Order: sequence, then structure tokens, then C-alpha cells
Amino acid sequence: MLAQIFVNGLLLGALYSAIALGFSLVWGVLNIINILHGSLIVLGAYLAFFLNAWFGISPFAAAPVAAMVLFIPAFLLQLGVINRVLAKPVLITLTLTFGLNLMLNNAMLTVFRADYRKVVLDPPLGVLDIAGLAVPVDRLAAGAGAICLVALVWLLTRTTQIGRAIVAVRMDRDAAALMGIPVATVYALTFALAAAVAGAAGALLSAIFPISPVASAGYLGKAFVICVLGGLGSIPGVVAGGFGLGIIESYGALWLGPEHAGTVAFVLLLLLLLFRPNGLFGRKGFE
Amino acid sequence: MRSKGLGVVAFVVAAAVSVIAAFNPGLAQTIKVGAPLPLTGPLSPEGTKLRQGYELWLEELNKAGGIRTAGSRANVELVFYDYQSNTPRAVQLAEKLIVDDKVDFLFSPFGSGAAKAASVVAEKYGVPMLASTASSAEVFDQGYKNLFGLYTDNSTLSEPIADLVTKKSPDIRRVAILARNDLYPMSLANEFEKSAKARGLQVVFFEKYAIGTMDHSAALTQIQGVRPDWIVVTGYINDLILARKQMGDLRLTAPVVTMINGPAYNEWIEATGALSENITTASWFHPVLNYQSKDLFGSTQNFVRLFKDKYGSEPDFTQASGAAVGVILQQAIERAGSTDRDAVRAELGKGNFETFFGLISFGPTGMANSYVPPVYQIQDRQVKVIYPEAVKTGEFRLGVR
Repeated sequence: MLAQIFVNGLLLGALYSAIALGFSLVWGVLNIINILHGSLIVLGAYLAFFLNAWFGISPFAAAPVAAMVLFIPAFLLQLGVINRVLAKPVLITLTLTFGLNLMLNNAMLTVFRADYRKVVLDPPLGVLDIAGLAVPVDRLAAGAGAICLVALVWLLTRTTQIGRAIVAVRMDRDAAALMGIPVATVYALTFALAAAVAGAAGALLSAIFPISPVASAGYLGKAFVICVLGGLGSIPGVVAGGFGLGIIESYGALWLGPEHAGTVAFVLLLLLLLFRPNGLFGRKGFE
Repeated sequence: MRSKGLGVVAFVVAAAVSVIAAFNPGLAQTIKVGAPLPLTGPLSPEGTKLRQGYELWLEELNKAGGIRTAGSRANVELVFYDYQSNTPRAVQLAEKLIVDDKVDFLFSPFGSGAAKAASVVAEKYGVPMLASTASSAEVFDQGYKNLFGLYTDNSTLSEPIADLVTKKSPDIRRVAILARNDLYPMSLANEFEKSAKARGLQVVFFEKYAIGTMDHSAALTQIQGVRPDWIVVTGYINDLILARKQMGDLRLTAPVVTMINGPAYNEWIEATGALSENITTASWFHPVLNYQSKDLFGSTQNFVRLFKDKYGSEPDFTQASGAAVGVILQQAIERAGSTDRDAVRAELGKGNFETFFGLISFGPTGMANSYVPPVYQIQDRQVKVIYPEAVKTGEFRLGVR
């Protein structure tokens, strides 16, 4: 049973990484706690759901489509709205994204209704039996997709000019501006990239979790915990935080009962904040 | 001379208004009914559904010309506020509805916990409150005179299923129960535990999961370890979609799997697909029922038709509950012949309301005790009634894979 719990935790952890990636990027680079993040994941899940329902497209194939669909509106939103308050105190940006989230969430409630839906894969992908351990293939595929997503963003920030610009702005906005980097545009690109990642994550999760606008708060809460656990703005930290939380919750549920799975994670989070406030991989600058 | 002229004008206007009022029910009294609703927050799906039920009732009521009171007809105005799925806020708004908006009657907030909390306010001001969605006996144990609940006690859900299970297969001995840590799902889980133990079954697993849980795999792995014959999971539709999906992921099977609330409705069946097969559930209402009624809907099937016409989908029990408390209040006011709260409360207490939801009477605590909720099983992605005999549409099957 312990081994099965570990496998469950790993699979859950990979999904958690996907949930937190975009949130970490925005928080790390723009210093914004993006309350909109959970709703963007839900929107991505809805896109995958309808692509599957209308055209039979697999949610895994729908992930890049969801990313592209969310990229441009998010770019314009950051450029036209959020950039205007970036220099303001954190409460202002928090309130702005809170308000934007209310608008998006209520729009989704109106358009999609509050009913829960889920992509049902037909035929189902089945369950692998590996040394007596059950490994559901859809979770495995979504988890693998999630890790690919994290790797892509990591590669982007390490190897491309845009990525290096994002890192430079994260490290020192004023110095980056002096070097000729258009900071406002980089902010918009970062936010758009985070939204695209959230949309893709939503598509990957659409065959795993029930989809509803009200699910957004759950995603946001998990993203917050993972980012603090792994370290703000750190892409490897997202992976460590996601897997850490997945495994801790799974064993917490086993040893203390499912009711206390979250409690264990939050106690650990408090300890980490006390003894390692930058999280597992967080540091002042970017990698 | 001028004041005499004004007096004549005032008399003529007053007389005209009285005459028009007497012949035009549209200008008759307006009955205000208050409803705190969770239109945003985690309970917004349920809040939206309740509102749909209320609004269908109001629409049909307006078409019928309003509520008949002594010699005239009264319009109904529904005054509602969003309590954002926050129970303390629901209590504040219930008080605001009574004190500021001066409503005549109340519909409760959603669910057992919020209904219990708001019932304190209704009792304090002596306002009859109809609880549309409270099924836990604990809500009605305060000795209040103004609280009337549409749902029967949770034990009426567990007992028939336990009977069916034990009669169908004497080999079923071991029961695992997983419950959402929330007033109604926990109360339901406790009833299942009692029903199982009363029949000599062994409860080998009983655990709670937190509200908002995104992963049941650890609990389900533990359940797999105790090899139960009957698995009971309580919660709301999102919990049960996820739990059923993860049971499939872990290849957790059992002769009987019962999940309440959710599986009787299309959205759950669509979201779980083939995994819905042979899941048993129970609910106070389902569109497959067909009661003839003396309310403005006339029958369950007519209610279902009107609901489909208005909203384009079949009603579930929450939506039906919203409309049902409406027709019960309407019948009580009509029987009382006035909106006097004491008279209406007395009529509510007398019960025997023949509604599309079933025959509704309230027990000494205010909780409905006049009907037995049917038991359903999903077979070939269709909802079959497997109990009671009178409305049965299918036979109970064993085996959930």
C-alpha cells in the first residue's frame, strides 16, 4: 500500500506542478499575486472540454490550442490594464486581479453554467499494472504533459532572447530598462506566457478533475502553496513544490486520515516559512 | 371653498383606487418572500439551481394570477440576496430580509448547516421558514415552531438501500464509508453506518475527507486494502465525480457502490461515462417520478416539461426543491386565506400538501415525514428506479467495476 500511495503522490505532484507554473512565473517576475490564475486554468479546461465534445479532439492535443487562445487576450490585458498599476502597492494589484477574476468567473458561470463537467476519454486509456501498482494512463499522460510544459518554460527562459529578457526584468527591472529591454512589453509577454501555461494545464487536467467555474479557487489555493513551498519564481521550485505537496498530502491522508491531508501540507509550509522563507529553491534573483 | 374642493378630489381618488383594487387583482396585496441564496462562491451551482426553481414557481404563479387569499389574489415578490456561500452572511441577510425588507415568509439558505443557522433568526421574529434543502435531523432538533423542511430525514435514504443490499446478497458483510466533512454528508454517512450495523454488517472503514479535496487516491487505496463488499461515498457532485474516477484509476471494485448526492443526474453520468454503471444512489426527487398533484404544476411530469421549456434541461432535486417550497407556501397561504403568519404556520403544520414533489406533511420537529425517497441505480447510463415497488423501473444489479 505504501508504494501505491507513493505512485499516487507522484502522479498528483506532476499535476500540481502544472497548476502552479504560471502562477509562479507571474509572482516571480511581475511581483503580482494573480488571483485570476485559477479561472484561467478553468477556462483552458473548458476549451479542451468543448474541443473534445464538438470535434473529438483529445484534451492532450487541445493543450497547445488552449495555450494559444489564452495568450493574446492575456498579453493585451497586461499591456492595457495590469501594467498601469504595477508600480502601485501590492494591495492594488491584488485587488485588480481579484476584480478581474470575479468578472471572468462570473462570465464563465453565465456562459458555461455552474454544472460540473469532465472530459470522458472514449475509449478510456486504461490502467497500467506495474509490479502490482495501478498507474492510470490518463493521469500519467497528463503528468507527463505537465512536466513537458515545465521543461518548455524552463528552456524558454534559459535559451531564448525573450526568456533571457524575462529573467533580466525579474532580476533588476531598472537595469534591464537601461539595457534597452522594453519592460512593459516583457511584463505583458510574461503574463501572456503564464496565461498560456495555465490554459494548457487546464486542458491537461480536464480529463482528471471535474470542470466548473467554482473549481478555480481550489487551483489558486494549490498554486499558492506550491509556490511558497518551492520558492517564488523558481521553475525547478515549482516541480519540487508540486511533487513535495503531492507526496506529503498522500502520506498525510494515509497516516492522519484524508481529512487532515491538507493540514499536514500547511503545517510543513509554516515550518518552511519559519526556517527557509525563500522556499526550497527560491532566491532573490532568477536562475 | 378651496379645501372643500380638495376634499372632494381626495375622496374621488380614494374611491377610484378602492374600486380599481377590488376589480383588479393586479393591484392587490403583494406577499414578500425572502430568500438568502449562495449565488457566488463554492455553493453557487446549488444557489443558481434553487433560484431557477423559485423563478419557475413564480412564473407559473403569475400566469395563474397569483395566490388566492380571502376574496382576492395576491402577487408574490421574491426578495433575494447573495450570501456568497458564507453561512454567517446568510444569517445576517435573513435578518435583513425580515427587518429591512419586511418579508412575510422566508425560504431557507442552501443546505443543512446554513438552514439551521438561519432558523434562529426566523424563530426570533416568528417568521415561518421553509427549508428547501435541509435533510439532517440535527437541523430540526431545536424545538423551533417556524422551521419546515421539505426533505425527509437522511435515514430514509440509507435504510431502503441497506434493505436492498442485504436482501439481494447475504454475502455482503464488509462496508467502507468515505464522507465529506460537512454537516449533510456526514449526517448521511452516520445514517449509513447505523443502517449497516443494524443489519449485522461490519463497517471496516469510516473516514472523512475535507471540503475541497482534490485527491481521494490515498483514502481509496486504504479502502482497497480492507476489501469491502459495499462502498458508500457521500458528498456533492464534484466530490463524487472525482471519487468515482479515482476508483476506476485504482481498479477499486465492489459488489455495491453507493454515492449520494449526484449520480442520479445527467451531469454526473456524463462526467463519469462507463464508470457510472451500477452505482446506486437515492434522492428525494427525480424527473422519472410521476406524482399527480393539486398544486399549480398538476403533476411531476408537467413540472419537468415546464422546467425543460424554460431552462432547456431536466430539473434535478435542488431545482425541484426550490419550486416545491413555493407551491407548499402557496397552498398554506391559500388554505389560511391570509398572510397572517400564525394562520399560515398552523396550515403548514397540518400538512397533506399534494405537490409534484410528492405528498408533503411535516412531523413534530418540522421535518417532512410523509414520503420515502426512491432508490436509483445507473444502468446503461440511464437512471432506473429500483425502490419502491410502486414506481420501480428496473431491477437492482450487483457488481461495480
